[in-house]
Order: sequence, then C-alpha cells, then structure tokens
Amino acid sequence: MSIMLDKPKDQKTAEAPRGVPRFPDEPVKPVKTPNVFLNILGSTDHKVLGILYLILSLVMGVVGGALAGGIRAQLAAHNLEVLSPELFNQFITMHGSIMIFFVIIPALAGFGNYLVPIMIGARDMAFPRLNAFSFWILIPSGVLMFTSFMVQGGAAAAGWTAYPPLSLKEFSGGPGVDMWILGVHLAGISSITGAINFIVTILNMRAPGMNIMKMPLFCWTWLVNAWLILIGTPVLAGAVTMVLMDRAFGTNFFKPGMGGDPVLYQHLFWFYSHPAVYIMVLPGFGMISHVLASFSHKRIFGYTGMVWAVSAIGVLGFLVWGHHMFTAGISPELRLYFSFATMVIAVPTGVKIWSWLATIWGGTIEFRTPMKFALGFLSLFVIGGISGVFLANVPFDIQVHDSYFVVAHFHYVLVGGSVMSLFAGAYFWFPKMSGRVLSEKLGNVVFWLFFIGMNTTFLPLHLVGLQGMARRIWQYRPEFETVNGIASLGYLFMAAAGALFIYSIFEALRRPRDCGADPWKINDVQESLVWDIPSPPPAYNFARIPVIK
Amino acid sequence: MPRPPALRTLLAVALVAAAGIALGQDFANVPATEPSITDWMLDPVTPIAHEVRSYTLFLVAMTLPYLLLPQVLLLYCIFKFGKKPGMRPATFHENVRLEVVWTIVPALTLVLLAIPAYGLIKKIENMPEADVNIQVIGHQFYWEYRYPDYNDIRISEEPLVIPVNKTVVADMTSVDVNHAWWVPAFGIKMDTVPGRTTQVWFNVEREGWFKGQCAELCGTLHSKMLIDVHVVSQEEFDAWIAKKQAEFAPADEAEETAPEPSAGDADEGAVAQEQSAS
Ligand SMILES: [Cu+2]
Ligand SMILES: [Cu+2]
Repeated sequence: MSIMLDKPKDQKTAEAPRGVPRFPDEPVKPVKTPNVFLNILGSTDHKVLGILYLILSLVMGVVGGALAGGIRAQLAAHNLEVLSPELFNQFITMHGSIMIFFVIIPALAGFGNYLVPIMIGARDMAFPRLNAFSFWILIPSGVLMFTSFMVQGGAAAAGWTAYPPLSLKEFSGGPGVDMWILGVHLAGISSITGAINFIVTILNMRAPGMNIMKMPLFCWTWLVNAWLILIGTPVLAGAVTMVLMDRAFGTNFFKPGMGGDPVLYQHLFWFYSHPAVYIMVLPGFGMISHVLASFSHKRIFGYTGMVWAVSAIGVLGFLVWGHHMFTAGISPELRLYFSFATMVIAVPTGVKIWSWLATIWGGTIEFRTPMKFALGFLSLFVIGGISGVFLANVPFDIQVHDSYFVVAHFHYVLVGGSVMSLFAGAYFWFPKMSGRVLSEKLGNVVFWLFFIGMNTTFLPLHLVGLQGMARRIWQYRPEFETVNGIASLGYLFMAAAGALFIYSIFEALRRPRDCGADPWKINDVQESLVWDIPSPPPAYNFARIPVIK
Repeated sequence: MPRPPALRTLLAVALVAAAGIALGQDFANVPATEPSITDWMLDPVTPIAHEVRSYTLFLVAMTLPYLLLPQVLLLYCIFKFGKKPGMRPATFHENVRLEVVWTIVPALTLVLLAIPAYGLIKKIENMPEADVNIQVIGHQFYWEYRYPDYNDIRISEEPLVIPVNKTVVADMTSVDVNHAWWVPAFGIKMDTVPGRTTQVWFNVEREGWFKGQCAELCGTLHSKMLIDVHVVSQEEFDAWIAKKQAEFAPADEAEETAPEPSAGDADEGAVAQEQSAS
C-alpha cells in the first residue's frame, strides 16, 4: 500500500471511485470562539473527542484504581476491617463497573475516535455531532455511578453482574442499584451510538483506493468491535431494565416467588457480558499489531489471517455465554456445547498470538516503551488465554467457578491484555496527539513497576483460587493470608506505575511540540497515514483526501 | 541498541509466572491440617474429586506446550532480533502453510480435551442411587440442612454430618437469593437458586472435617457463609441421628416457611419415606 498525498485531480469534479464520498479539497476552517472551554465543549472534532475520552478514562482509572486499593487493603490480612462488609461489596461492584464502562471501553473508544478516521484517510467520523453526544452522555452516567456512594444505603453492592434476586428491592433496598442501572443505560447509549458511528465511518469514509482488505488492522478490530457492541449492548440494557421494572414497577421477571426466573437474567446478562470481554480487548489486539510491527520494522504477519481471526472471535463470542453458568444447573449436553464452543475461540486467538510472534520474528526490534508494553502484553495474554481454556472445561470450572482462580484469570486478560495494550497505545500515539514523546526513562520505570506489580498481584491469586478461596469475600480463612498479603503488596507497584504515568504526561506537556510527523522513524515500512501527517494533525487531518494505491 | 538486560528479566519473570500457574498445584504444598480447607488437588476425597484432579492434570499436560512455546519464542525473539547496527529486518509477511498448521493443530488438541470431559460431566450430573438423602437450603447468611430420610431433621448454622463411604445425594435450593454450595475437597460446587432445585452427589472416602464456603455473592455477610462437613463412621452417624431425632420435634417447627425442594427422580424414596413418617 502506498500513499499519494499530492493528488493530481480535482476531487469535486473527478471520478472518485464509486461508493467513496466526495470531499471538498480544501476543508472549511473550523469555527472557533476565543473561549477555550467553549471550543472543547462544543467540539465535534474526532481528535478532540478522542482525547476527551482518554482523559475521562484516565480520571476514572484513578477512581477505579482507588477502589481496588480499598479492596486490596481490606484483603491484606484475613480478619481486617478496613472497610465494612457493606462498603466492601459496594467497592467490588463499583470497581468492576467503573473499570469496564468508564476506563477500558472509553479508552478504546478514545483511541478509535482519534485514529480510525486518520487511518482510513477521512477528515472526521461520519456523524460528528452524534460522536460528541456519545462522549458527553458518559458524564451524567459516570456522575450517577459515582454519586451513588453518597445516597442512603450506598452504591450498588450486588456485584457488577447484579444477579437477581440479590439486586431486587427486597435485598438491595436503597437507590444505589437503580442509579447503577441508569448509569449502565447511559453508558450503553454511548456505546451503541459510538458503534453506529464507527461502522458507518469505516464502511463509507475510506479514502479512494483503500480497499477494506488494505485497511489498517486497528480499524478492522474496531469494525468487529462495533458490531459486537451494537448486537450485545441492547440485550444488557434489556436485562437491567427488567431488573429496574422488578424493582420499581412491580413486574416479576426475576422474582422466583412470583413465577419469575433468576437464571433467565444470567442468560441475558452473559449474552452481552461475554462478548464484552472481546469488546474490551479486540481494539487492543489491533493496537498491539501496530506497535509490534512498527518497532520490529516489519509488516504485520498474516494480515488476512488476522482479519479472519478477529471476525471469527466476534462471531463465536456470541455463542458461548453459558460458560459463566456451569454451576447454575444447566443440562450436561448444553454445558458440553458451551464448553466446546468456548474452547474453539482459543483457535483464532492462537492464530493472533502466533502471527504476532511471526511479526517480530526476523525483525530489528527496538525496545522503546510502547514495544515493552506490547511484548509484556504477549506474555501475559498467553497466560490469561491458557487459564481461559482451563476454565472452559466443565469439570475444572465447576471446581474453581466463582473462586479467585477466575479473578486471577480475567485480570490477566483485562489488565495483562487490555490495560497493557492501552499503555502500549498511549505511549505509541501520544506523540501524534500532543507533538511530544513521553519520557523513555520514566516509561521504562512505569513499565517495570506495572509488569512486576501486575504479576505479583494476580499470579498468586490463581493459587488461593485452586485451594478454595471464593471470590467477592470480605474476610477469608487464615490459610489464604500469605498469598493475599503478597497480592496486596503487588497493588502498590501498580498504583505507583499509574501515578508515575500520569506524572510523565504532565512532564511531557511542558516540553515544546517538536517530535515531527514520524517520531519513531517507522513509516518507511509501515506506510501509515497516521505518521504522514503532522503531529498533532491539523483540523480535518488532510488538506487533500489521500489516494491510496 | 543492545538488548536491555531488563527485558531478559521481564521474560524470565514471565516464564516463571507461566510455569507457576501450570505447577500451582505442586508448589501449593500447604499441609492439609485442621482447620484448613482441604486442598482438592493434593487430597481429593470423593470419586468425582479424584477424577476432576486427574482431568486437571491431563489439561495441564495438554496445554503446557501452548503456554510455554509462545513464551520461549518471545524470549528467543528478544534475544535474537534486538536491533543492531547494520541489521536489516526481514520482509516476509505471510506463510500459508504455517498458518494452516497453527490453526489445525490447536483445534485438534481442543477436541482431545473435550472428549474425556463429557464422560465426567455425565458422572457429575447423573445422580446415583442414594444411601442418604439430604437437602441443602441457602439462607442469608447460613446453611440449613435437612435429612428427609430421618424424620426430616433440620439443622441450621451447625456442621453437616454425613456417614463415610455412603453416597449422599443433596437437593439444593434457597429461600432468598442465589448462593452456591462448595466444598473443594469433594470436587463439587452447585448454585442454590430460589424456586429451583439443583442436585449434587458425593461419596466421601474418609472420615474427617471438610470445609468450604458460599461461592455466589449473596449479600453483606457472604464471606461468613462458611460450610463445615463432618464425615463420620456409620455408627457415629446413627448415634448422631438418634440424638438429633430425640431433640427434634417436627410439630414445633410447623411455622418454618422454607419451601420444600421439589422431589427429583433420585429422591422419590425420600419423599415416600417423608410421607410415611408424617
Ligand atoms: Cu465469558
Ligand atoms: Cu451465600
């Protein structure tokens, strides 16, 4: 794929390929008021919104991380009372909800917003105002979630899974669960409108000549991701709405005494929440592909295979929700089906792992900070993937279901996978967004603190899970204390890494914007539009819409 | 740029981490002394737990290559392909044969994993002829056990007592929210769901105390919903039953509102006995 930036013909009159929207050659100058805040509030620029998403994610990451700190402090020894049991349940519920809905998903949306239009050679998303709506509606959603700690009865405490009957009025009386549900609704609306925007943008706004099989992998992962969001999120919204109806309007969808069925909720909930795992990691896969290829100075290995693997993961992701319900009393045949379908996902996931290894194989690897996070991702994600294959097997899963083994597994996937890829992406694209490279020296420390902390926290938790420590417990039997103490220690490393990362952003922002269009010196091989345009890119990205050959 | 030594440490840590998971069961050499939870991997005490343990070891053996190979290859790449002056990156970016192999071989491995699982699931799921029927009822935040074969004795907030080497079939339900009954050494876990009856069975091969806890978030004191099972000889069990029957007068408990678990196939005998007893 090669790019011609100086376009020979006038696009307005010329024969743009069919299906490609026409753009005026010289973009309109953006309307600016002298007020910086009004400019940001009223902006529909995908780059401004992308950065806003990332800032929101960072702020909420501090909140979610602080909640995790409370949890690890409570669990540092077996009989502490750092938090009351009520508050502990609120902390675990909100830690999960915030990390999923306000940290990982918005961060991926932020990178998607910023990068997808540039990567496909467009000047903005297809629906810029809808894009702004998708972001701003997250604010009331986050406020609802956060302020629920202050209402009578406290925040929702039924787990981020909010299983009825526990989440029904009888057992969770305060308004916390209602606020949580409304928060999920608003976050869901944000996700759905955002997903529509991504699908339309990617399908319709690619620059002339950018065949869909030439599109950068990050855009592919976002395309599949957007479909997952579009199909899954309404089901989640329906399920929590039914809980809300049971709570507020006297319906009986999930009340066992009234003919309702609590297990039905689990089916509906996991129909969204299993794909949610991929919603939280697929764009991360895309980012990792770019980082690995860039710093190996090679092209991505097996592009076509990667596209098929991501698509297969997307489709299969909807067929496996029952693996969260192996102990809920579903039939052996159904469990076997869910078990096998789940394991099948390991095949396309494996294709990705092997292709990434082949991507760096034979390259000239530069160990810059983004690359360190990407290599760390590879190592950790394999561990999370293999423990996932274990959990897919019913006899084993029955044993460790709802134990700390599961907690360890999904933190390897979400912290070792999603968060590591977010760090890699942040270090990789920060120069493009700000015109400055983040300090390599600090980056090295951030990486090691985070990597060591992550493993110290979550690796030992596999062990207590195998030994019989159930998850979501406020105090535990004394024999699990050593391992939990180690895990709590690891948290301190991760918290230090987070603080240092935020510091290094402010440190970099004090420097002049002088990193140039291609600060990593990678675009000779990558030929990416992102590294062709100035850092930070001008309004509307391209003076002329590029033509891809 | 030479390979930074830090990266070697990184990979070493990753490798140890990976091996640690696989071998978790082995370095988990905590002595299973009172009052510890008996470790199911070190000391399984039911036929199911034994089989789950061997199945898990089989899983470890089959997946270990897939855990280690990527780590080793990653390590190799980091050592071998660090950028040095004058080095030129390779330009290959596909190899169909390789891609077919790394799709097909793992898929076949997964089929091999699934085959033995089916038999074991069936074994866990199909209730054998019961020697003793019990009912397990979850409450916020304690367990109630009933012995329908023995005048419907009901005990709450005290250890479950069962005879050794006897097949126990447990019908489970809950009166309020979902709970899950989990005793790791028995190799079983089952949700107790209000309005439904779920079943498990176990046949404990030696006497002793076995511990577990509620495994489904059920509210404020979820962590205090501990399970203690006392496995005793048949004689001790009979004596315990006699003692309980003496102190237990069913008529006094008529107000108990907990719903009866509906009778499954396996406990028709129990129901008949229950009816004849009342
Ligand atoms: Cu899942
Ligand atoms: Cu419980």
